[in-house]
Amino acid sequence: MAKLTIDGKEIEVPDGTRLFDACTEARGRPLPHFCYHPDLPVAGVCRLCQVEIEGMPKLAIACNTIVRDGMVVHTMNERVNKANQQVLELHLINHPVDCPICDQAGECGLQDQYMEFGLYDSKVEQSDKGHKAKVKVIGPQVILDQERCVLCSRCVRFCREVTKTGELGIYDRGDRAHVDVAPGVELDNLYSLNTVDLCPVGALTSRDFRFQKRVWMLKSTEGICPGCATGCNIRIDHHGGRIFRLKPRYNPEVNGRWMCDRGRMTYKVVHDEKRLDSPLKKSGGQLAPLQWSELEGELSGMLKPGGVSLVIGSSHLALEELFLLKQLGLQVAGEDQIIGGLAESDQKDGDDLLLSSDRTPNRAGLALVGLEEMKADLLADRIKEARGTILIHGGNPAADPLLAEVLANCQHVVYIGTHVNETAQLAAYALPGASWAEKAGTFVNQDGRLQQFQSAVVCPGSAREDWRVLAEMLVLAGGEESPGNLDTLRKRVSSELFNGQEFDLNTLSALGVVPSGLAEPADPVAGGEG
Amino acid sequence: MSFEGLPKGSCAKKTSFRDSIYFWEIVRGLGVTIGHLVYNIFHTSEMPTLQYPEEKKIYSDRFRGRHRLMKREDGSPRCVACQMCATVCPADCINIDAAEHPDSEIEKFPETFVIDLLRCVYCGLCEEACPCDAIRLDTGIYEIAADSRDKFVVDKEFLLNDREHGSY
Ligand code: SF4
Ligand code: SF4
Ligand code: SF4
Ligand code: SF4
Ligand code: FES
Repeated sequence: MAKLTIDGKEIEVPDGTRLFDACTEARGRPLPHFCYHPDLPVAGVCRLCQVEIEGMPKLAIACNTIVRDGMVVHTMNERVNKANQQVLELHLINHPVDCPICDQAGECGLQDQYMEFGLYDSKVEQSDKGHKAKVKVIGPQVILDQERCVLCSRCVRFCREVTKTGELGIYDRGDRAHVDVAPGVELDNLYSLNTVDLCPVGALTSRDFRFQKRVWMLKSTEGICPGCATGCNIRIDHHGGRIFRLKPRYNPEVNGRWMCDRGRMTYKVVHDEKRLDSPLKKSGGQLAPLQWSELEGELSGMLKPGGVSLVIGSSHLALEELFLLKQLGLQVAGEDQIIGGLAESDQKDGDDLLLSSDRTPNRAGLALVGLEEMKADLLADRIKEARGTILIHGGNPAADPLLAEVLANCQHVVYIGTHVNETAQLAAYALPGASWAEKAGTFVNQDGRLQQFQSAVVCPGSAREDWRVLAEMLVLAGGEESPGNLDTLRKRVSSELFNGQEFDLNTLSALGVVPSGLAEPADPVAGGEG
Repeated sequence: MSFEGLPKGSCAKKTSFRDSIYFWEIVRGLGVTIGHLVYNIFHTSEMPTLQYPEEKKIYSDRFRGRHRLMKREDGSPRCVACQMCATVCPADCINIDAAEHPDSEIEKFPETFVIDLLRCVYCGLCEEACPCDAIRLDTGIYEIAADSRDKFVVDKEFLLNDREHGSY
C-alpha cells in the first residue's frame, strides 16, 4: 500500500495504482482528461490531467504516473489550473466550436472543461481557424468530423486493442494531424459505436442517432440488452415515449463498458410499425380489433382446467412471465403440455468479446423455471397431436416454415406477442404484450446471472405488460389470486425458485446475481473487462 | 401586551346615516363622469381612446410581437435546429425536428419548426438563446387571432414569411 496526500487529503491506495485513479478517489471526481480511459492502454497525449507533485520541478500527467509512497500532490492550485487552461486553449485553437449542430453538445469534454476552468476569451478569430474534413462517413454506423477531434487517440486504441481490427489511425503531424480510416478501409466492426461513446468530443458521432435529439432532453432508464444471451447492461435513453439510443452501462462482470452495435439497434423493434397495439380476433380470415373486456367471454372456453391442449413459451420472455406462464399452463393444460418454446437455431457467429451465438436473452431463465425448448420438427409433432386450443406466448414460432404449416391447420391458436408477425396472422386471437423496453423484468444470461431491467416507455395502444395478462388469465382459470403488482409477483417467484438463497428478486443488486448452486458459476466473458 | 394607543382601523369608524345610504356619493361619482364627458366633447383631440382598427397603437421598439424566422441570403432558414430556443422556452411551445442538410457546410437544418402561439408567453427568451439570430420577435404583430386552435400552431413556412424586415 502507498500513502499519499492529494490536495491535503491523505489516502492509501494499493501499490501500482495510477495517480489518476488515486486522484479520482481523493477528489471524488476525476481530473480533467480526454485520453485516459480505464479500459484502454495509457497514451498520455492530451496533457489535461497535469498535477503538481512536490519535489518535481515540472507538472506531471497523472494518467501516466504510478503512485509512490509519501507523494504530496496538488490538483487544483493556481499553477495546475493555469496549465490546464492553457492546454485547453491549445486544444481549442482550431476547434470549430459548432456546438449548435454538434450531437455531442451537452455531454462534451470540451464544453465541460471550458466551463470548469476555461472561461477565457478566445485569441483566435473564427476565420483564422484551420480546416479539415467534416461530415465524413467512415462506416455504416459512424460519422467523423476531423475538425472537432482533440487527437486523444481513444478511438484508435479501441480499434487496435479491443476489437483488434485497427481501422483507425492518426495521420500527419502537428496541426495537420487528423484521425481517419486507413485508405480503402471502413470502420465496420460489430463494436464500432463504442468509439462514439469513447470520443470525448463530437468528432465521432452515431449515424443512427444523428440529429435525432439533443442529449439533455433524454431521460435514462436502466435496461438489459435483449439482443443475445450475454445480457449487456444498458442505459435506455428516451424522450416523450420514444427511445432514441441505447448506451452500455458499466458492469465489470458482464460487458465492462462496451456493447455491440447489433444490440444498440434492438430498440427499433419497440417502435416498429407492425406493433400489436390492440387485442385482435380473427373473423372471416381477417384480424379485427376488440376490447380487452370482451375477451373474458371469448376466452372462457380455454380458461378452465383442461381448456388448453398445449402451451408454448419463449426464451425472449422475462423470468417473472415464464413463472406465471408455467403456473397458468399447470392450471389449464397440465405439466406435460407446457413447452419452453421453439429452440431457435444457434447463429454460430458469436465472438469472444461480447456477442453470443445464442440470440435469446433468457434461455437460462427457461431452464430455471423448469421448461424445455424443442427443435422445430419435434414441436411440429406436438402441435399436430394437440386437439384444441394452443396458447403461444412470445417469440414467433410460425417464422419457421414447418411450424407455420402445422399451425395453419390449428383451429384455435391464442397468441400473446408484441408484433403482428407470422404467428399472430395464424392465430384466432392475438393479444398485445409489452416489448422488452416497456416492462420490468428479470433475464438470466448465459452465465446464469440474474439481471433486472426497468420499463422505459409505455406500451403502445392498449397493449399490456405480459405478466398482467397472464395473471388475469390465471385468475379466470380459477388459479392463484393475482399478485396485483410486480413486487408481490417477484416475492412469489423468489420463494418458489430461490428459496434459501441470500437474495430475492426485489432486492437484486445492480450488477446482477448468480444464484449459488442453481447454475454453473459465471465464466467471466472473455474481454468483458477489456 | 396592550393594543390601546394604536390607531383604530377604519372599519371601526362609525358611519353616519347620510354616508350609509350612499346617495351623495353616487351623485358625486356621476358628477365626475359627466365632467369628463363635457370636457371631452370640447377637447376631442385629447381623448385617449383609439379608433381601432383604423388607428393602431404604436408600441416601443422593444415590444415583442409574433415571431419570425430569419433567412440566409439564399432564402433558406438561418436556423440550424440546435434547439436552444426549444430548451429555454418556459412554455414548452417550440417543436423542432432536425434533419441533415444536403450542403455539408450547413449540415443541420430544421425540417419542421412549429410554435404554438397560444402557449407562447412572448417572453423573448427564444430569441435571446438563439446562437444564430435565427428567431426574432420583432415583427411588432400583436393581432394574433384565429377561429380555431390549430391555426395558432404556426409552421416553418409561416414563420419564415411572417414579415420580411420586421416592423421597425
Ligand atoms: S465537440 Fe463539444 S465543443 Fe466541439 S462542437 Fe461538439 S459539443 Fe461543441
Ligand atoms: S476522434 Fe474522438 S476519440 Fe478519436 S482521437 Fe479524435 S477526439 Fe479522440
Ligand atoms: S417567446 Fe418565450 S414562450 Fe414564446 S416561444 Fe419564445 S421562449 Fe417560448
Ligand atoms: S435557437 Fe435559433 S438556431 Fe437554434 S433551433 Fe432555435 S431558432 Fe434555430
Ligand atoms: S488524461 Fe492524462 S494526458 Fe490525457
